[in-house]
Amino acid sequence: MAAALGPPEVIAQLENAAKVLMQTLACSILTALLSEFSSSSKTSNIGLSMEFHGNCKRVFQEEDLRQIFVLTVEVLQEFSRRENLSAQMSSVFQRYLALANQVLSWNFLPPNLGRHYIAMFESSQNVLLKPTECWRETLLDSRVMELFFTVHRKIREDSDMAQDSLQCLAQLASLHGPIFPDEGSQVDYLAHFIEGLLNTINGIEIEDSEAVGISSIISNLITVFPRNVLTAIPNELFSSFVNCLTHLTCSFGRSAALEEVLDKDDMVYMEAYDKLLESWLTLVQDDKHFHKGFFTQHAVQVFNSYIQCHLAAPDGTRNLTANGVASREEEEISELQEDDRDQFSDQLASVGMLGRIAAEHCIPLLTSLLEERVTRLHGQLQRHQQQLLASPGSSTIDNKMLDDLYEDIHWLILVTGYLLADDTQGETPLIPPGIMEYSIKHSSEVDINTTLQILGSPGEKASSIPGYNRTDSVIRLLSAVLRVSEVESRAIRADLTHLLSPQMGKDIVWFLKRWAKTYLLVNEKLYDQISLPFSTAFGADTEGSQWIIGYLLQKVISNLSVWSSEQDLANDTVQLLVTLVERRERANLVIQCENWWNLAKQFASRSPPLNFLSSPVQRTLMKALVLGGFAHMDTETKQQYWTEVLQPLQQRFLRVINQENFQQMCQQEEVKQEITATLEALCGIAEATQIDNVAILFNFLMDFLTNCIGLMEVYKNTPETVNLIIEVFVEVAHKQICYLGESKAMNLYEACLTLLQVYSKNNLGRQRIDVTAEEEQYQDLLLIMELLTNLLSKEFIDFSDTDEVFRGHEPGQAANRPVSAADVVLYGVNLILPLMSQDLLKFPTLCNQYYKLITFICEIFPEKIPQLPEDLFKSLMYSLELGMTMSSEVCQLCLEALTPLAEQCAKAQETDSPLFLATRHFLKLVFDMLVLQKHNTEMTTAAGEAFYTLVCLHQAEYSELVETLLSSQQDPVIYQRLADAFNKLTASSTPPTLDRKQKVAFLKSLEEFMANVGGLLCVK
Amino acid sequence: MDRWTTQQRCSIALGYFNSFITAAAAVEAAAAAAAARRQRLDSRRADGVESLRSRELESKPLKMADDLDFETGDAGASATFPMQCSALRKNGFVVLKGRPCKIVEMSTSKTGKHGHAKVHLVGIDIFTGKKYEDICPSTHNMDVPNIKRNDFQLIGIQDGYLSLLQDSGEVREDLRLPEGDLGKEIEQKYDCGEEILITVLSAMTEEAAVAIKAMAK
Repeated sequence: MAAALGPPEVIAQLENAAKVLMQTLACSILTALLSEFSSSSKTSNIGLSMEFHGNCKRVFQEEDLRQIFVLTVEVLQEFSRRENLSAQMSSVFQRYLALANQVLSWNFLPPNLGRHYIAMFESSQNVLLKPTECWRETLLDSRVMELFFTVHRKIREDSDMAQDSLQCLAQLASLHGPIFPDEGSQVDYLAHFIEGLLNTINGIEIEDSEAVGISSIISNLITVFPRNVLTAIPNELFSSFVNCLTHLTCSFGRSAALEEVLDKDDMVYMEAYDKLLESWLTLVQDDKHFHKGFFTQHAVQVFNSYIQCHLAAPDGTRNLTANGVASREEEEISELQEDDRDQFSDQLASVGMLGRIAAEHCIPLLTSLLEERVTRLHGQLQRHQQQLLASPGSSTIDNKMLDDLYEDIHWLILVTGYLLADDTQGETPLIPPGIMEYSIKHSSEVDINTTLQILGSPGEKASSIPGYNRTDSVIRLLSAVLRVSEVESRAIRADLTHLLSPQMGKDIVWFLKRWAKTYLLVNEKLYDQISLPFSTAFGADTEGSQWIIGYLLQKVISNLSVWSSEQDLANDTVQLLVTLVERRERANLVIQCENWWNLAKQFASRSPPLNFLSSPVQRTLMKALVLGGFAHMDTETKQQYWTEVLQPLQQRFLRVINQENFQQMCQQEEVKQEITATLEALCGIAEATQIDNVAILFNFLMDFLTNCIGLMEVYKNTPETVNLIIEVFVEVAHKQICYLGESKAMNLYEACLTLLQVYSKNNLGRQRIDVTAEEEQYQDLLLIMELLTNLLSKEFIDFSDTDEVFRGHEPGQAANRPVSAADVVLYGVNLILPLMSQDLLKFPTLCNQYYKLITFICEIFPEKIPQLPEDLFKSLMYSLELGMTMSSEVCQLCLEALTPLAEQCAKAQETDSPLFLATRHFLKLVFDMLVLQKHNTEMTTAAGEAFYTLVCLHQAEYSELVETLLSSQQDPVIYQRLADAFNKLTASSTPPTLDRKQKVAFLKSLEEFMANVGGLLCVK
Repeated sequence: MDRWTTQQRCSIALGYFNSFITAAAAVEAAAAAAAARRQRLDSRRADGVESLRSRELESKPLKMADDLDFETGDAGASATFPMQCSALRKNGFVVLKGRPCKIVEMSTSKTGKHGHAKVHLVGIDIFTGKKYEDICPSTHNMDVPNIKRNDFQLIGIQDGYLSLLQDSGEVREDLRLPEGDLGKEIEQKYDCGEEILITVLSAMTEEAAVAIKAMAK
């Protein structure tokens, strides 16, 4: 090639090649430098202290990093000006772009941060750009931002490079912190950035590879920039930005739907769509910065497009590809596959929120879509029925139409659920203000009677009711779901269950539960203003609420008998039942229904179909039945209720176990089933415990517990029954111990002790021989540990007021304490410790439960630890030492156990006891952990407390440890710093004593100590 | 859904039975099961498949072995009972391909989002340790074996058979010393003169020693 050219060209080419080579080399060196300095996890192991690494990083980021960035920007500028790049050149270009990305993703260390914080900073992913002040000129120069937009426009078709350029832009979109001298500069920067962004996106067709990057940019802008800055940019610009966001959201949503149809592995649009919907939520949540209705039109658009993507043609575009409707093969869906309502909960929450903003549009839309589909579903099922009647044998029914309808209804119900109510845990959910306002606003145009009629006639078409358009829209939307439910119920009655969708059944009860929690018997005191239609239809003492409760109960009963084979559906159904009775006001209405009593009787008789339900469902059903029993009724009715619900349980149980030949027939299947069902029911009863029913329930359960111990003996060879018996004890202790007063608690302790004794006797010399040694084989161990932990929890959480709740239930207090929690627990520990082994600790749940238990014991009964037999004591100490090397959770538990042990030693003042010697060993372990190892910041408090108590106990050994450490230091500067730091550490607490004030002072000094010299000794 | 013919069922049963059960006993076992099933079928409404199965069973003449009686002790108790598939649980028991199994895996799935649940069962034969699988609609009834566990004191080992003292005071000598570690352990303990209890598991006319423990003193 060179021969054809003259010398000058050759030289020019060579120079050019050399330049490319040089640039590549330079870039590689810079990239390597950056990695070395960026974080301690990326640095090479060269034996320098953490502190040194931190200092280097800080110096580097202020000067060198900035220079590298300036240089990179220059190179990029040069590239961006060139017209056509050779392959070689563009690869260099890409390298520099990646370098720029690396700089912009730098995790800037603020000046003067201790080691703890360094560790914290390094662990965080998705670093936002927060440089120090000295970067101001570099980054606020608008040419830098423009350059990255230009670069992106130039290379956006190259998906690899586009990733980097978009990431650079996303980092620039997250710029915040001291770099902005004032709000004005922040507004300018944002305005400029948004302009650049709009210029880049508007009018182009977005590539697949750009979707996630662009959505990250927008999400960063909305998250990082405060609302007042966002609204301070020129109005027109802001409107265009929101328009663009709306447009992108809708378009990504459509592409995401397409991705699902094509079953792509890499769901880029779905990820981008998630991000944008989340941004919407952030944007609209804080609405006081925007004038009312500002977002309504946008919300309508996003909402519409979401609905459209999820409905079948002709209303929607579900499964629609460029080539028409995709034929979806029926795929196998395993139980592990999350339900849509959970898998897409974030999306649905955003869409629901937008739906509330645009309630005027969205609520009527959902209503009409649902009502129309109910009519179609009804018709479709009728046709199927006629077909079946005409030719009973033919099973060639095309389910495509039905499945399409089910899928439509599925999504419409999910969106409706998220729109009308929130899912709250532990607090009372309120009717969303947007919905309340919407209903109030229209209440003057509404005819209440017609509204009630629409609500109360789910079997009729809404449009067949005269005046149906003058009804409350929210109630009409609810009634649309009730209409779906009614069609389902009728199909079941017509023997068409096999044609129904269990998924839709699940959606219906899920919705009804969510709705009932928020709206049913609405508590008017919680609202400033309440809509008249709501209070008339669902308020307290209304016919409407009475009717709905009856209807829901009917639904629950029908579901439990028809759908016992669909576990999830049965579970959602029984949860709806719990919702109906867990609040007293609702329960009062529920128990007035005859159906409720029928359900109770039927369940008590253990006959089909209720006994087909899986055991968790049966437990929850029992729980609901017990909760219902605490509704308001007259004494006679109450008596009657318990006679029907609880007493049969007792009678049947006693009849079985008191049979003369029970020992012989205990293995017979009917007997075993009876026993199992009783035990399951007992667990359910315990689950229903509340503060105001504990007295009755405890007394009821106590009778059983005694008998259960006898069963332990009878069923000693049947592990599944033994486990279930222990589980009953676990549940009772878990739910009730915190309410029990002294004497009742003692009854329970006694029962538990006897249980443990029987268990121990039966397990003496037992060997577990099973090919499949799995964690669940040790279920009994786990349960026993859980039981002991639950018993101990009373020392932490105790709501009892010396048998307050039992007043009137028992004659007097027990005078002395024959059994204490300590006795039971220590007996249990004696039982458990020999059975635990290092192998068993490899099972995570066993391991966690074990450490939780031993830490509780050390904390609550430290005085009992030295009294343990020698080998048990040793294995306990060894467990603690072992635990300090395990997961941070376990390690923390062990550290927490050390403090009370050391305090116990100090109290006992024996300097030769095994515990004293053991704590000396732990002093060294904790010392090393704090000073020499890079450790988790969450642990500082636990470690510090343990450390201080141990130091108090072993002052001489502590001084020795410090001396040894100091004498090993060769650098006089470091020696001095360390010596000073150690002096300062103990200055506030000399001599160290077990005094709270001193301890707190020590912990504070320890934190300073760690920040000051912690990084010196931890070496990488 | 399994559509095994009686012929297949019997041959499978023969293949996996422990060696101490003779072929005749196996046929007798199948006959007993068939009788039990017929009895049950009369008492409850049979679904289509069940009645199909019973017809198959009845049409096949079965040779009865009169000299063996495996129904001792629990007269009237059937070897299995039906249970709705969804009510089965992991670690419970079920009959798979004619064998009593412990359920080691149980999962559900459905065909399409709006399909009905099907249960996938994996069981381990409680006597042979062999693995069986089955898949059926969750509304379907499955047979569950009646499982019994009894402890007997070991008083001797002869020619590979255990001598066990029953509660009645009688000694039974028809149970084989198990193979593998458990068998070795029993022999060893017995040789050392330790007093031990043997746990015997029985289901569907089969029995085997499955565990040992020290006698409580």
